[in-house]
Amino acid sequence: MSSFVIEAAGLTKSFGSAHALAGVDLQVRTGESLAIMGASGSGKTTLLHCLAGITRPDSGTVGFRSGIGLVPVTELGERERSRLRREAFGFVFQQGLLIPELTAVENVALALMLNGMPRATAEQHARGWLAALGLAGLEERRIGQLSGGQAQRVAIARAQVTGATVVFADEPTGALDSQTSADVMGALLHSTTGQGRTLVVVTHDPDVAARCSRVVVMRDGRIVGERQGARSVHPAAAARVEAQAAAAAAGSAGAAGTPEGPRA
Amino acid sequence: MIARVAWLLARPGSAGAAASVLPVVAFGVVTALLLTVAGGAQTFFTWTDDTSMLYQSLAVIALVLLVVPLVSLGGAAARLSARRRDDRLATLRLLGATPGVVRALAVIEAAAFALAGAVLGVLAYLVAVPLIGLIPFRGEPLGAAGVLLPWWVLVAAPIAVAALAAMSAVLGLRQVVISPLGVRTRQEAPRLHWIRVVAGVGVVAFAYALMSVIGVAQVALVLITMLAVAFGGTLAVLNLIGPWVIRLIASAQVRRAKTPARLLAARSVLESPKAAWRQVGGVAMTSFMAVFAGVGVGLLGAAAADGGNGDPESAMLLADVRTGILITVVGSFLMVACSVGVGQAAAILDRADLYRSLDMLGMPVATMEAARRRAVMSPLRVTAVGSAVIAAIVMLPLTGITLIVAPLSLAVIAGVLAAGIGIVWLGLVVTRPVLDRAAAG
Repeated sequence: MSSFVIEAAGLTKSFGSAHALAGVDLQVRTGESLAIMGASGSGKTTLLHCLAGITRPDSGTVGFRSGIGLVPVTELGERERSRLRREAFGFVFQQGLLIPELTAVENVALALMLNGMPRATAEQHARGWLAALGLAGLEERRIGQLSGGQAQRVAIARAQVTGATVVFADEPTGALDSQTSADVMGALLHSTTGQGRTLVVVTHDPDVAARCSRVVVMRDGRIVGERQGARSVHPAAAARVEAQAAAAAAGSAGAAGTPEGPRA
Repeated sequence: MIARVAWLLARPGSAGAAASVLPVVAFGVVTALLLTVAGGAQTFFTWTDDTSMLYQSLAVIALVLLVVPLVSLGGAAARLSARRRDDRLATLRLLGATPGVVRALAVIEAAAFALAGAVLGVLAYLVAVPLIGLIPFRGEPLGAAGVLLPWWVLVAAPIAVAALAAMSAVLGLRQVVISPLGVRTRQEAPRLHWIRVVAGVGVVAFAYALMSVIGVAQVALVLITMLAVAFGGTLAVLNLIGPWVIRLIASAQVRRAKTPARLLAARSVLESPKAAWRQVGGVAMTSFMAVFAGVGVGLLGAAAADGGNGDPESAMLLADVRTGILITVVGSFLMVACSVGVGQAAAILDRADLYRSLDMLGMPVATMEAARRRAVMSPLRVTAVGSAVIAAIVMLPLTGITLIVAPLSLAVIAGVLAAGIGIVWLGLVVTRPVLDRAAAG
């Protein structure tokens, strides 16, 4: 049995004349934490959206290995992809993007209610997740009454409460200060890979990437570098990868198209 | 400078055609309705017999009912303009444009939409004149020639509507912050209800002046003014208790909600019961009045027919009042539908990021749509049915008798209320493309 939970091959995607993805192959391993790094416009968010079935690539395939076999994500219709995202995936966005008029517990429970769970049961599960993420006592607060870090923990609880196999996070710490960012990243890792689940995170923050088990670096719609076991790598190394990527993106000829960084 | 930038901004934006078509259509409908009622009223003011004053008072009431939503529609259209130009207005601020310049742009756009809509409204009115002429009053059709307004009114109407829209746009924009980082709704929106009072007083003063010019008797003037004031008073009372009742019902619905759509809808109403009321409050007065007058008319009509000695003139009067009620109720629901359509388009654009993220999470667009519809329809039902029931209770003994002796007249009113609710529902449905676009990102 394959140890890959998501396999993508030959992904291309253009927006007008801009090539966001120019042929990407990527396997996401079950239980790993994968960081996708790269400068702005390198295509990392588009890649995340294709892997998660939000965006359909122009060409190429994405397969998701679920309990019942391989799901051809790129061949599913809009409605089926929506259902897949709802039931098998979890999402954490930079701004949280929680529903402001709902309370914390309602925001989390909503994910379960969308799958048909009765409200009382859903809220019970939601409370459990909020407590596990250190938010006990804040369940009835509305989102505006929470700090940025607390709101992001609510978003993590929402992404995890359905038992999502894979959690996709797009700059989950982008709007937080460094200490809160470290706490939130810890909570995110603990609730995903800590439970045998898979985390795919798009980030430009070397500190965030440094805590993941594998890092791929993107430039101009291609994966130009990859390294594994980054957790054992000094943060400075991760910073160097980012700096190189940025320099390459800025136009300096050199390491174009060649893998960078240490391989485990 | 402002004119040149306004022209640049007039190019299509990312919000789609619906966001620009909606305000134009809304202003068109409002203008056509206003002209229709004014045309009918014009006929009434040519009459000089005993009952003419009653007709004239009723026409003034109908005009008041229609001008109030027009004012709030202007504000909603300006907020929509600001939102759908979100990125461009914010960029202008970033480039150093003063808040005043940016606001002026939004106001100009709202006024331009209003003007375009009003011109279309005039055309629609002209097309409808033969039909309006068929409406029977005093046992015979009004006649196309009777309801056709003088040419200068048709020229002045679009200008007046655009001016009103610009004025209410200035006020409506006070709820919006246009910062270099984006357009958003002010957290503590300034209360705007006093505008209604100003508008009401303005309309009364205008009507007073108009009638003085035409030369209506002094006694009639006083009576009509008192009627309008009493009318406004009831409106003010309804404005006080309406939001309170809506809050009460929404908080019960939050506790009972079992599906995501119901929970979202109840929470969004509870977030701002006043905003929910502003959207549908116009219906309260209409449905209150419809039942109140409908019961009276039905009863009197039945009594007259029963006695067999009802003189044809009063029978005709009762029939006319019934016609007037139906027209006013339908018109008022049309107005609410227009402002709901424009308001909803603005609300969707305001929350586009959130809708986009909910789509990513796998929430079906149908669920978002259901929540959004329920958030408008639930307060609307409460308002329309609630006001009708209150009116029925106030006149309880009479309502009971009418129910027995003239069930048909009550059934007609109930049917018109139901149809009105359906019209507002349509106003919601047409904003669905805006949601689809927002969710797709």
